[in-house]
Amino acid sequence: MLVVGLSHRTAPVEVRERLAAGADALPELLARLASRRELAEVMFLSTCNRVEVFALPKAADGVDAALAAIRDELAHHGGAVSGDALAAYQYQKRDEEAVRHLFRVAASLDSMVLGEPQILGQVKEAYDAALAAGTLKSLLGRCVSRAFAVAKRVRTETSIGAGTVSIASVAVELAWRVFGGLGDHAVLLVGAGEMAEAAARSLGNGARALHICNRSFDRAATLAGTLNASAVPWDSLAAELVQADVVVTSTASPTFVVTHEMVKRAMKARKGRTLLFVDIAVPRNVEPSVHGIDNVYVFNVDDLEQEVARGMKARQAEREAAERIVDDEVAQFLAWTRGLQVQPTGVAMRAKTRAVLLSELERSLGGRLKHLEGDRAALTQMVDSAVNKLLHAPTTRLKARAADGDDAGELALAIRFLFDLQEVGVAPEGESSSDAVPDAVGDEPLPH
Amino acid sequence: MTIDLANWLFVATAASYFAASVIFIAELLGRAGRAGPWAARLVALGVPLHAAQIVVWSLVLHVCPVEGIHFSLSVASMLACLAYVLARLRYRVDVVGAFVAPQALAFLLASRFVGPVNDEPRLRSALLPFHVAANLLGVALFTMAFAAAVAYLLQESRLKHKRFAGASRLPPIDALDRAEHGFLVAGFPLLTIGILTGTLWAREIEAGGAAAIARACLSYASWALIGGVLLLRAAAGWRGRRAAFGTILGFGLTLLVLVTYLVRSFGQVAAPGGVPA
Repeated sequence: MLVVGLSHRTAPVEVRERLAAGADALPELLARLASRRELAEVMFLSTCNRVEVFALPKAADGVDAALAAIRDELAHHGGAVSGDALAAYQYQKRDEEAVRHLFRVAASLDSMVLGEPQILGQVKEAYDAALAAGTLKSLLGRCVSRAFAVAKRVRTETSIGAGTVSIASVAVELAWRVFGGLGDHAVLLVGAGEMAEAAARSLGNGARALHICNRSFDRAATLAGTLNASAVPWDSLAAELVQADVVVTSTASPTFVVTHEMVKRAMKARKGRTLLFVDIAVPRNVEPSVHGIDNVYVFNVDDLEQEVARGMKARQAEREAAERIVDDEVAQFLAWTRGLQVQPTGVAMRAKTRAVLLSELERSLGGRLKHLEGDRAALTQMVDSAVNKLLHAPTTRLKARAADGDDAGELALAIRFLFDLQEVGVAPEGESSSDAVPDAVGDEPLPH
Repeated sequence: MTIDLANWLFVATAASYFAASVIFIAELLGRAGRAGPWAARLVALGVPLHAAQIVVWSLVLHVCPVEGIHFSLSVASMLACLAYVLARLRYRVDVVGAFVAPQALAFLLASRFVGPVNDEPRLRSALLPFHVAANLLGVALFTMAFAAAVAYLLQESRLKHKRFAGASRLPPIDALDRAEHGFLVAGFPLLTIGILTGTLWAREIEAGGAAAIARACLSYASWALIGGVLLLRAAAGWRGRRAAFGTILGFGLTLLVLVTYLVRSFGQVAAPGGVPA
């Protein structure tokens, strides 16, 4: 398996956005990649932090050609002349490293925010798109499916997704601590900065109403349009404090925008209803003494960042355990794939033994086997049973040897030589059957 | 056989409340993960067992369950648990069980070991069942309001000290405030009925001893205090901390009235205590 791509670790956003592909562009892109004769299977993953192509080469000795083909297609997609144009930003991994990379990406161990849950959904979308385009068949498809199970295992067995790790998510957590949910509550955004917008996007989603109050009404109206909110004039800020339950402030004002007196008056008009301020402005917009008013809570950017740091620290502490799970899963997956590599030898050995036994039986019965309707099934069953018993030990030992990572290829070659298996057409001359990808991957169960 | 059944139900109820109390407290201390719903289910299991125990025991003793402090304690704790189970359907107040379950256990045990059933003929009146039933339901609801108020103050302290995330098992502060108010609103009319029937009953049996007068004063004071808390909330927006302290004080006074009955039942005073409770 191979992966070629670039991510937030290797490429700036200007490069990433050139290569990104939306859902509409994916079918064509996948079709073009799949049409390359070097590639057997392919999946394209595009998020705001990464663009990656996962692929399976058509031939075991065609890995370099497959990598070059992917690089060319990526460059073509990004508008570059050749694959080398993006080389400085790209990475490529193969075999074990590629499998590990996919598992780590799905488990959110390679994300910008460790443990964020969105990446798994994005990998699933890429998987669905590749399935729909018919570019995922057996081995790569199984590997991606396994990546989902790995991600689930990491989330279940570690606390990698626990805690709050962004200002917006801490604001949401706070709103929950105070109100439980925002379905019956109104959110007021004071100022229209980027941070407030992010917090408002999280908070405003489930809120009864979202109002935006900004010195520039036009800017408030523009933002309100994108957030499905309503803009209110700056002069009505005091009145809005009576209606709102959560107030997110983010203006660039050098003085307090919300004063102790304003809130005192508002609380009287509110009949003491709880009011929460999330002040993410620097300098602060809400007078600190407001926190002392009964039933009013003010949290500034330092309070929120402390919580973010706590959340990040807790997640980092889980990284080691998560990496161990990934290592374990990679080892199991590779053992499974090595088992697949010797599968054709096992199949050929069984087929030949069965054919020989049936032929000898036929010969000893003087060609009467086909006329013995009643006994024919019983005799065939006896032959199958004998084949199973005879070949159970060599087959399982061959698979075990492959799963252990020992060089089972030599053993498979020896078996083919000793049993003269070429005659039953397992693998043509010059194409090692142990390297070929078997068609019946799905028949062999994965570990677990 | 019936006595055995009553005893078995008593033990089963006590076991349910005890297990629930242990889980609730362990969860509050952060030692039981998110086991709160299981503890709440144990309380819910305890309620029908408790109700059955009261019915069987009253049949054994041939006593109406709302007569005498002996049964009243048990009925009050059962009603508090029932109110808790029903309240969980409306409010996110699982943690209130950490107060209700131990109190129910304590009242259940006390009901077994407090003095004998008060069967004094002179105290009998048509008003008595109404008086006791209203007061018991009122006490059950005030217990819930008290628990919500204590949880509110704990959560408020966390938020004011900005320890807002992490392992807190306390419900949202607004939910606690609304739950506390809801229990007070439901309990206040019952307390009013209890006061009125108690006053009329006291006149009927001509009660007038110093203890009875003191108990009446305490009852009127608790009624006035809880009424004041509700009035100030509606008229002047007294919510949150002030309302929580008022609720705790009001519950304290109603509990004090209950304690005076308990003290009287230990001594089995000949004269009626009379006035409202």
